[in-house]
Amino acid sequence: MRDLGLIAFLFGLLALGLRRPFLFVLAYAYVDIVSPQRLCYYLLNSLPVSLICFVLALGGWLIVDVRRGLRIAPRQWIMILLLAWAYFTTTNADFPVEAAGKWGWVWKALVFAIFLPLTLRTKLRIEALVLYMVLCAASIIITGGIKTALSGGGYGALNLMIDSNTGLYEGSTISAVAIAIIPVILWLARFGTIFPPDWRVRTFAIALCFACLLIPIGTEARTGLICILALGMLTLRATKKRALYLTLIGIAGLVALPLLPSSFSNRMNTIEGYQSDSSASTRLAVWAWTWDYVQHHPLGGGFEAYRQNRIAINLSEKQDTGGADMISASVQTDKGRAYHSAYFEILGEQGFPGFFLWLLLHATGLIAMASGPEPVLIAVTARVFPSIPLTVLLL
Amino acid sequence: MIDLFSLGLSHGLLLLAAWRLLSRKDLDSDPAPEEPGNSTGA
Repeated sequence: MRDLGLIAFLFGLLALGLRRPFLFVLAYAYVDIVSPQRLCYYLLNSLPVSLICFVLALGGWLIVDVRRGLRIAPRQWIMILLLAWAYFTTTNADFPVEAAGKWGWVWKALVFAIFLPLTLRTKLRIEALVLYMVLCAASIIITGGIKTALSGGGYGALNLMIDSNTGLYEGSTISAVAIAIIPVILWLARFGTIFPPDWRVRTFAIALCFACLLIPIGTEARTGLICILALGMLTLRATKKRALYLTLIGIAGLVALPLLPSSFSNRMNTIEGYQSDSSASTRLAVWAWTWDYVQHHPLGGGFEAYRQNRIAINLSEKQDTGGADMISASVQTDKGRAYHSAYFEILGEQGFPGFFLWLLLHATGLIAMASGPEPVLIAVTARVFPSIPLTVLLL
Repeated sequence: MIDLFSLGLSHGLLLLAAWRLLSRKDLDSDPAPEEPGNSTGA
């Protein structure tokens, strides 16, 4: 039943793409985010659906768009350089076999990232892609939100349809994405033209925002709490009635706190006591190792370079033994620990050149966003953001 | 059951969005800018 539905959907979408080829780009985004081939037990799981959608998207662009001129933006050049640099480090990698495995998906992602801006020629296309990304994420967020509301979830225990820690199905990733898209959902509900604002759109948007806020609670990923705080601070920056906003946030917090499951509160408390948390201490040790490694290998070690690390972690834990505090110290050793940070991952694997290209990519994006030709976006954000604490309050 | 509801709702909306895009002329080229003085209002 589920398999038939997913197959019918994808083929239906591709059929519509024959009339408007831009829909192939949306189909690729859909396959990339929802991974229907992993939700299916037959047909889709044996077809290279991602490749098919990419070839169709490229073909559609060649037929419809390329004759209108080709303009490559500076940030696309940065990505082309990054792709070339990653190829160079892969050919000189410390672990050639493992590095080739990661290169196998990195180059595809980068090629599509370089290609995508060429297709986004109109405002409606940008809106359509944003809407598709939100609705695709919603397919995972709605199920996660309902399950959290009914049963509370748990760290690594919330069932998000497939038992796989990849892509958006990984707890911390979906938590960060769920919070990050809240302003986008509210923007679409207010200014969308594909689904123009009416009571149905507003109801769906508010319900989806609820589900988004429930995701970090359900997955108990600490990333989610940090993202909620970051969103709150950005909202404060954009809102005009700050006193009212802070009051609403305070009331929302007081109402929500007693309702949170105790396992959630316990896990969030570990952010504070990181010295007794081997997960946090391991990360600090891996980051220190990475920094040391690039001093001797400034060009990076290629993909998967972390496999050679050997780290010693100092753990100290304070125990209250009735009257006197006992501090117990222990040393753990570990090897081959992953980076747990995109910054250190690219620094260790791609060295300083790759790291600076990557920073440049993000920095130019942020600068372009803040000083773009459409300052109206800032005004729009200021109007949309104040509705966020209301949503929290209703939760 | 919950999974089916979530997949059904999101995929239904995705398909409806694609259907609505079929009839949009501004998908492949932005409309010409409006005449000056022709305010769209608030």
